Amino acid sequence: MRSLTPLTALLLTPLALGLAACSGAASPQDDAATGAATDAATGPDHGAVTGAAELAEPALGLTTIDPSGQVTHLDLLDESVTELGTVGTPSAVTTDGRYLFAQTDEGVEIVDSGAWTWDHVDHFHYYRAEPALLGAVEGEGPATVATTNQSMSGGTGVFFEGSGDAVLLDTAALSGGSVEELFRLEGEPGAGMVVPVGSLALVTEGQGAATRVVGRTAEGDETGAAAPCPDAAGTITTRVGAVVGCSDGALLASVVDGELTIESVPYPADATAPPATSFDNREGRPTVAGLAGTEGIWVLDTREREWSLLPAPAPLVHVTAVDDDDDHLLALAEDGRVLVLDGESGAVVAETAPLVADSLAAGLSPVLVADQQRAYLSGPAERVLHEIDHADGARIARSFETAAEPTWTAETGR
Amino acid sequence: MSRRAVRAVTSWAAVGALAGLALTGCTAEADEGPVVVVSTNILGDVVTELVGDQADVVTLMKPNADPHSFEISAQQGAQLRAADLVVSNGLGLEEGLQQHLDAASAEDVPAVVAGDEIDVLDYAEGDAAGSPDSHFWTDPGRMLDVVDALEPALAELDGIDDEALAASASAYRGELEQLDADMEATFAAIPAERRALVTNHHVFGYLADRFDFEVVGAVIPGGTTLAAPSASDLADLVEAVEDTGVPTIFAESSSPDRLVQALADEADVRVAVVELYTESLTGPDEGAPDYLTMMRTNTERIATGLSP
Repeated sequence: MRSLTPLTALLLTPLALGLAACSGAASPQDDAATGAATDAATGPDHGAVTGAAELAEPALGLTTIDPSGQVTHLDLLDESVTELGTVGTPSAVTTDGRYLFAQTDEGVEIVDSGAWTWDHVDHFHYYRAEPALLGAVEGEGPATVATTNQSMSGGTGVFFEGSGDAVLLDTAALSGGSVEELFRLEGEPGAGMVVPVGSLALVTEGQGAATRVVGRTAEGDETGAAAPCPDAAGTITTRVGAVVGCSDGALLASVVDGELTIESVPYPADATAPPATSFDNREGRPTVAGLAGTEGIWVLDTREREWSLLPAPAPLVHVTAVDDDDDHLLALAEDGRVLVLDGESGAVVAETAPLVADSLAAGLSPVLVADQQRAYLSGPAERVLHEIDHADGARIARSFETAAEPTWTAETGR
Repeated sequence: MSRRAVRAVTSWAAVGALAGLALTGCTAEADEGPVVVVSTNILGDVVTELVGDQADVVTLMKPNADPHSFEISAQQGAQLRAADLVVSNGLGLEEGLQQHLDAASAEDVPAVVAGDEIDVLDYAEGDAAGSPDSHFWTDPGRMLDVVDALEPALAELDGIDDEALAASASAYRGELEQLDADMEATFAAIPAERRALVTNHHVFGYLADRFDFEVVGAVIPGGTTLAAPSASDLADLVEAVEDTGVPTIFAESSSPDRLVQALADEADVRVAVVELYTESLTGPDEGAPDYLTMMRTNTERIATGLSP
């Protein structure tokens, strides 16, 4: 009784070519989906996501920007090096594991590394697409960029100190190559944050001790949720929720049954150490770490809603939580050593030689990022990228020399 | 470089609009018979087996795709809302599709959700512990339960010949029962102490439940680790292999040869690394073009891998 070939068959076979006029129920790139492609570069629609190839494991890489703005991608699997193009000279770079958000004279310029991971909690999926320079989000003054762990959905927050503009970018649109603003709210100049929470966001209002966060929909309307957050500084998203640092603790925001909820996780009542003003972790993991000024290390377990303070074994410039079976922390010491710390006691489990002493002495910013099996450390002055096995005595597994200073470095594909 | 709303990549939206134009000449003919829109290609195959050419079966998920995140066009969304029957997996599998499924449900499109028809297992461990495992199809018995729900729903469609449907459903039930029996017989050759799947695949909970396997989740070192591995990188996997004594692990790896080599060099462990089909059918010329073949191929690989 059917005169049309079932669409299923069209999707399954290249024979669809002969019926091209009728195969358009799906987008036309379906015609290319013969299922045989495994090459990321040639298979425009092999994977589930338009324009992307699904991979058996993460396409991990180190994407760097040198002082001239040249963007370079080192593929950590095949060790190939690719030039991606040029942006302005950045003053800071933020990443969500796929995109680099570089602050330049243009505003916030966005680089798509083309590699990312989709966290399904019970498992992960890995993708690669063509890298691209996506253009800039305009704004005045230094910007604070806040991302989620998902580079295919939700929003990315940008707050411009110069104008007080609070912007929420459409993260899904970035994957289509388009920089689109879900909202741009005008505010007072000064420090601030836009923290994406699922498809919603928290936006700071006010300054200093009077700072509070207010829930906003993707359209910029108030959700009704709000909470005080004195001296708001530092944000990170774990798989539990979005963390915002405040002088009296952290806020933990998540979307429960479509509603934005904000919990408070106060510092211990007897705490005297300065609050954490930045947080870092192995992407997505529940435990995050930040420096307590010069007095130690704050560790926040977002699942248990619990802070702990560890002593710093040496003056530190950065700390991150691996959140592995041994609860290790990684720290970069002022003298350029990478330290592997016991997450319970803060004791040094292993350490490297001073790998980036020259960079720190020169006031540059080496990046230390924790991954499941390895950590990566950039040495801008040393022109080197180190791969460190933190579970095996801080052994240096590989080192890559770079042609130019890797002033800013992001691990991508995560 | 322009500064706002830059489109450095081809605009898929524009391409989609062209597709819509191409479609217009053909949609009218879809009135000839009922349209059944199916989310996953595994269920698409099963529905096609049942209904044959009595209905237009539209499978949204392409071969070799990821059921969690595949996306559909606006036209496919409209097709879904206009369908005579929607068949989906449920249990949270089709994350990328859920809003379209909800929209169809809101318009009272009849639906069969496979997850509503089976005895659901929860994940036993990991961050997803306690949440339902959506990968029911690794147990043919549960697919039988889904067929039992599909047949009356398909029979409700206008223009369906009930006798033909009953005959094909009966034949396919026979195939599933035979598959189940063959799997049991094939797995019987595996010694009891080796009935373990050391794997980074996360979909075999139902198969393990039905055929009495233990699933041992293990971290499979990736390419960055295998570039310069040490014994500690392999410790988790080596422990799983030594505890279970299996000669084969079932892992998805982009460099299985390197993994085999690293296990031999660093830990003196000699195992084969075999990949299984998990969440998607393949194209017609590959190893898992339909559900029955997918299951039989996996069964053979598991039995061969674990037999003495």
